Amino acid sequence: MATLEDSFLADLDELSDNEAEMDENDGDVGNEEEDVDMDMADLETLNYDDLDTVSKLQKSQRYIDIMQKVEEALGKDSDGAEKGTVLEDDPEYKLIVDCNQLSVDIENEIAIVHSFIRDKYKLKFQELESLVHHPIDYARVVKKIGNETDITLVDLGDLLPSAIIMGISVTSLTTKGSPLPEDVLQKVLGACDRALDLDSARKMVLDFVESKMGSIAPNLSAIVGSAVAAKLVGTAGGVSALAKMPACNVQVLGHKRKNLAGFSSTSQSRVGYIEQTEILQSTPPGLRARASRLVAAKSTLAARVDATRGDMSGINGKALREEIRKKIEKWQEPPPARQPKPLPVPDSEPKKRRGGRRLRKMKERYAVTDMRKMANRMRFGTPEESSLGDGLGEGYGMLGQAGSNRLRVSSVPSKLKLNAKVAKKLKERQYTGGATTSGLTSSLAFTPVQGIELCNPQQALGLGSGTQSTYFSESGTFSKLKKI
Amino acid sequence: MSSFLLKTLTKKEEIDRIIRDTIDEVLVLRFGRCTDTVCLQHDDILAKSVTDVSKFAKVALVDVDSEDVQVYVKYFDITWFPSTVFFFNAHHMKLDSGTADHTKWVGAFHIKQDFIDVVEAIYRGAMKGKMIVQCPVPPERIPKYQLLYKDV
Repeated sequence: MATLEDSFLADLDELSDNEAEMDENDGDVGNEEEDVDMDMADLETLNYDDLDTVSKLQKSQRYIDIMQKVEEALGKDSDGAEKGTVLEDDPEYKLIVDCNQLSVDIENEIAIVHSFIRDKYKLKFQELESLVHHPIDYARVVKKIGNETDITLVDLGDLLPSAIIMGISVTSLTTKGSPLPEDVLQKVLGACDRALDLDSARKMVLDFVESKMGSIAPNLSAIVGSAVAAKLVGTAGGVSALAKMPACNVQVLGHKRKNLAGFSSTSQSRVGYIEQTEILQSTPPGLRARASRLVAAKSTLAARVDATRGDMSGINGKALREEIRKKIEKWQEPPPARQPKPLPVPDSEPKKRRGGRRLRKMKERYAVTDMRKMANRMRFGTPEESSLGDGLGEGYGMLGQAGSNRLRVSSVPSKLKLNAKVAKKLKERQYTGGATTSGLTSSLAFTPVQGIELCNPQQALGLGSGTQSTYFSESGTFSKLKKI
Repeated sequence: MSSFLLKTLTKKEEIDRIIRDTIDEVLVLRFGRCTDTVCLQHDDILAKSVTDVSKFAKVALVDVDSEDVQVYVKYFDITWFPSTVFFFNAHHMKLDSGTADHTKWVGAFHIKQDFIDVVEAIYRGAMKGKMIVQCPVPPERIPKYQLLYKDV
């Protein structure tokens, strides 16, 4: 405890941005020893210099017990699982459940240690954290580089792909970090070792679980394989927990979120550990999404069978696997060939007469209007009015007549082209007669030079004096009579 | 590509049977030799369209070299091969294509669609009760020939 308080004081002096967190850390110190479980709240304790205050799992009793049991069990071969006993009572099953829980805890622990290493190493090489994402890889790289200033001297060939090594060498030239002081370096290396230890422990636990998976969940392992089954059960936290999940959740168990900086997640396929199964690796990429849904569904069914220990021989699982295989094969079949269709018998299909509002509206555009209907009828005994008068032109029928409802004769614009003689007569009549001549028209012609001049306007229009007779004048008689 | 082979009739009973048994379908009988080039072209068109018109027509070939069949050859006055005669419900259907002889179609069809059009026209006319129909093929695709009257 004394060292802890000293390290607090040291922090106060060195790092200026921790003042806000000091209060919370004081509170945490109190219940640290009781609180064995790791929460995400412990991320706030990262600014300690001492690793042990951050990562307590390795020292905890639980961890030590379980690791011991695992080593023991790995040493001896277990007898065949008793059929019929409820899964939960089997002591080996309990161990598996604990291992699953522990593996999750170890993973969290590794994340915390990784943050610790990252924070300390930031002073030396800040960009490394964004280049190497995986915490274990990061720990290995940090261990290898140490306090070295020239990265090219460090051989990272077996740890990372060459593209990333290149990136690291390039960024190391421009990094603004400085080599770490010796004690910080020791702490960092210690933390790296801790991370690697935790990782190997986790691997051991998972291997153990995997080897036992055949007796724990035979049906599930029959479908997805024991490695993936172990991972699924581990992430879910037990076979019954996995069985309680809906299949859509099982599909995304273990999905690594990789959308960095604004890349859309629609292009990513949402598949988790299921992606690593043999079935999915062997399907063509176009069918992967469909197949993953199928495998997730069937594996959920298998997990449910295993949770209730209904079938310890794994027959169910094998049957489901066969079903999956058959379905995937069926999807890959080519479509059936097209048969040439014979022509239908002529006039066998009666013409489909369509009705409805749309057709009615269409017909309305071409229907006979009410006005036209009125114009078509005529009153008995009275001569009808017509557009040109005197029976010429279009007749108006009942339009405009006294008895009808229509008050107004709106003339239907006639498409007739009048011939020259009829047009002339119309103009003449328009001038002389007609109740509708404008009141402002006059027969006088105004010429600018001579003032008012009485001039025959009809002459201007080429209608002559009006008394001129045409060759075949209807009002005139024979022009020349010769006495024979 | 189904029906690589059209049925070939060589005996009088076969012809009688097929005319009697084709009910409510147009029966197309081609009279000709299988070795003649124009017949081969005609048969090719027939074979290709047999599935298309299978719902309302039946096609059969009559080999004009067998003796049984000479009765029919004489009856229908077939002198040019191939000649196609149309029947509907055992009635002989006539086709007015602008040529001199309405009782049969003389020569090969130019395109598959022409043949299908002719069969359809005959079907429609026959369903209406007509015994002679107008040919829907445009005159440039109708094989022309001259009727020479011999010994008449």
